[in-house]
Amino acid sequence: MRPYTTSVERIALRYELLAMGALAVAIIEGMLLRSNLLNLPLLETDHWYAVLTAHPLVGIYGWAYLAVMGAFTYLVPKLLTKPLYSPRLATITMWTIVAGLAMAWSAGFFLRFAALYTVYWPLPVVRFPPVSVTLFAVGLATVEVGVLLFVVNIASTVLRRPKGEKAKARPTTALLLAALGIDVAVVAVGNFVARRKAAKAAASADGGVAVRVKSAQLPVFVVSVVRGSVDAVINAVVLAGAGIVMLVFALPALVAGVSLDPANVDPLVYKNVFWWGLDMVADGDVLIWVAGTLYLLAPILTGGKLYGESVVRWVILADLVVSMFVWSHHLMSDLPQPVYMRLISGQFVTWGEFFTMGLSFFAALMTVWGARPVKMSMPLKFMLGGIFGFMLGGFSGLLQANTGLNVIMHNTQWVPGFHVHEMILVGLGNIIFAVVYALLPMLTGTGLKSVRLANAHFWLWTIGGVGMAFSMGLSWSLGALRRTLYPGTDLYIPYQASAAVFGAILAAGFAAFVVNLVRTYGLKTLLGLFGPETKPAKP
Amino acid sequence: MERAEKRWLAILAIIAVGANVITLSPLVPWQSWLLWNPPQPVQEIHFSVSNYTFHLPPGGITVPVNQPVRFVGTSEDVTYGFGVFRKDGGMLFQMQVIPGYANGITWVFDTPGTYDVRSTEYSGPGHVGMFVPDAIRVVG
Repeated sequence: MRPYTTSVERIALRYELLAMGALAVAIIEGMLLRSNLLNLPLLETDHWYAVLTAHPLVGIYGWAYLAVMGAFTYLVPKLLTKPLYSPRLATITMWTIVAGLAMAWSAGFFLRFAALYTVYWPLPVVRFPPVSVTLFAVGLATVEVGVLLFVVNIASTVLRRPKGEKAKARPTTALLLAALGIDVAVVAVGNFVARRKAAKAAASADGGVAVRVKSAQLPVFVVSVVRGSVDAVINAVVLAGAGIVMLVFALPALVAGVSLDPANVDPLVYKNVFWWGLDMVADGDVLIWVAGTLYLLAPILTGGKLYGESVVRWVILADLVVSMFVWSHHLMSDLPQPVYMRLISGQFVTWGEFFTMGLSFFAALMTVWGARPVKMSMPLKFMLGGIFGFMLGGFSGLLQANTGLNVIMHNTQWVPGFHVHEMILVGLGNIIFAVVYALLPMLTGTGLKSVRLANAHFWLWTIGGVGMAFSMGLSWSLGALRRTLYPGTDLYIPYQASAAVFGAILAAGFAAFVVNLVRTYGLKTLLGLFGPETKPAKP
Repeated sequence: MERAEKRWLAILAIIAVGANVITLSPLVPWQSWLLWNPPQPVQEIHFSVSNYTFHLPPGGITVPVNQPVRFVGTSEDVTYGFGVFRKDGGMLFQMQVIPGYANGITWVFDTPGTYDVRSTEYSGPGHVGMFVPDAIRVVG
């Protein structure tokens, strides 16, 4: 590792290390949860649900978000050849998210808050002590403040003009439209109008000239990041808002012993708003940020040019529309929800993701195909593994988001098995590791030492992830529900035992990565990244 | 747009349209009941849920085979689920039971026998015990 790294490189490495720490916690939590599902309980029932509440928060915000934020904090300024708006803000962001997660996790682990990440109204305030609700709500809101700070830093980096560049050269509005990916539509409409005017002029007078509307085009990766930030902001505001609603009911009870009537909040309206916001992560950021990462990785790793860039820009815009209207697929079993909502927002818009992700994967795979012969580097291997995971998890997601099939799939093990863990571990996980393997040489000057350990990481992680997800998912055929323990019943034990074995294989894959990391850089160096920065000794 | 992209987009469109047409069609029996031809239930069963307990009609639930029946549930505290399961564990159907709403689903049982009811939505740590064996008897 270089003896001295710039602040942004160091910050990015800190993010990645903390993310891997969170992944380790999430894996341990997963193993603890599995013990109870095997009817070999290591946790009491209320504690099991508390860990189940913390598990996705640690996995999503602790692992995935921190890993992605660290990478973007480094890559966005690098691609734009600009400095990061505020390295200090990046550090504050990181610790804000870690602090928020620690609070939310503690609310579960120590105070047994167990309303799950869905916190369906009025479950939190009816079932759990106000002190645990308060700690969880403050923790959740703190995490979301961190997310907002990240967006501020990235947006400011993109929109800030380099010194000396005049506003006229690239007006802020044009830059904003380009950053959000809306420019393709503006340009298309503008050019259409211009062509019409030119055609009219040509017919009526001596001829017309079409005035081409231009956009302040930014790299598609950057557009994807900023476009995903819209979802991140909505997600943060809604989830922080849910935290505030919980506080409004918990604090009077905690401070003055006054209980407000939770019936003042409509559970169905709450559920709609909550899923609208929460889905900005699952069906917004995960998809668009992964797509953006593919648009960046595929050409870099193959030395080719991104296939179909003009189509990809439309895909980014289409994905914005999809993510805004897709939430209702989580409410298909809520029969008071209007049928048209379940059909349009729930089923049809979800199929929009089939098109956006289908075209994104096509662009990435065609880029690889067009660049043959291609050296199968480690990041490329992980990238292809990630696409494979998303295809498997996406297909199962489309099935469960069907008004007919949802009747027998909703809240069963199909959802966390075939869909969620397939998407997160095999899909998103492999993409994150592809980025990490590609980034480490850029950040440190050295790639991971052992190719054998890296290969072991890839295969164990992928086989373990697919096997675990399928083992869980198949228990759906016997009616196994998610979020449900079956004490005294051995009907689902074979499936859970299989999931445990594959889960251990997945954990072994992650352990291979950690060993490789420590062997390459040394534990002292890695931990030293969190200490004060030292300048290199002069030769 | 390049030719390969157009072909790929066409393939995606064919799959999407085909999958939606088939799964929304009356070929799926409950889609027929939900979307196309809602049947008139011959029997309506009302129940409520509170504090982790299903309050089912006294004397149990007996319904006729091959006849549409409607289950209407209300919750007095938090959101629960109402799932009907075969004796081999397989799920027949389910719905959410949201407080403040009358949550209803119409179903046609095609096989006589007894069926279990279990909450399909987490409602707090007591969710684990929300199981009513032999809650529904289908006769005929």
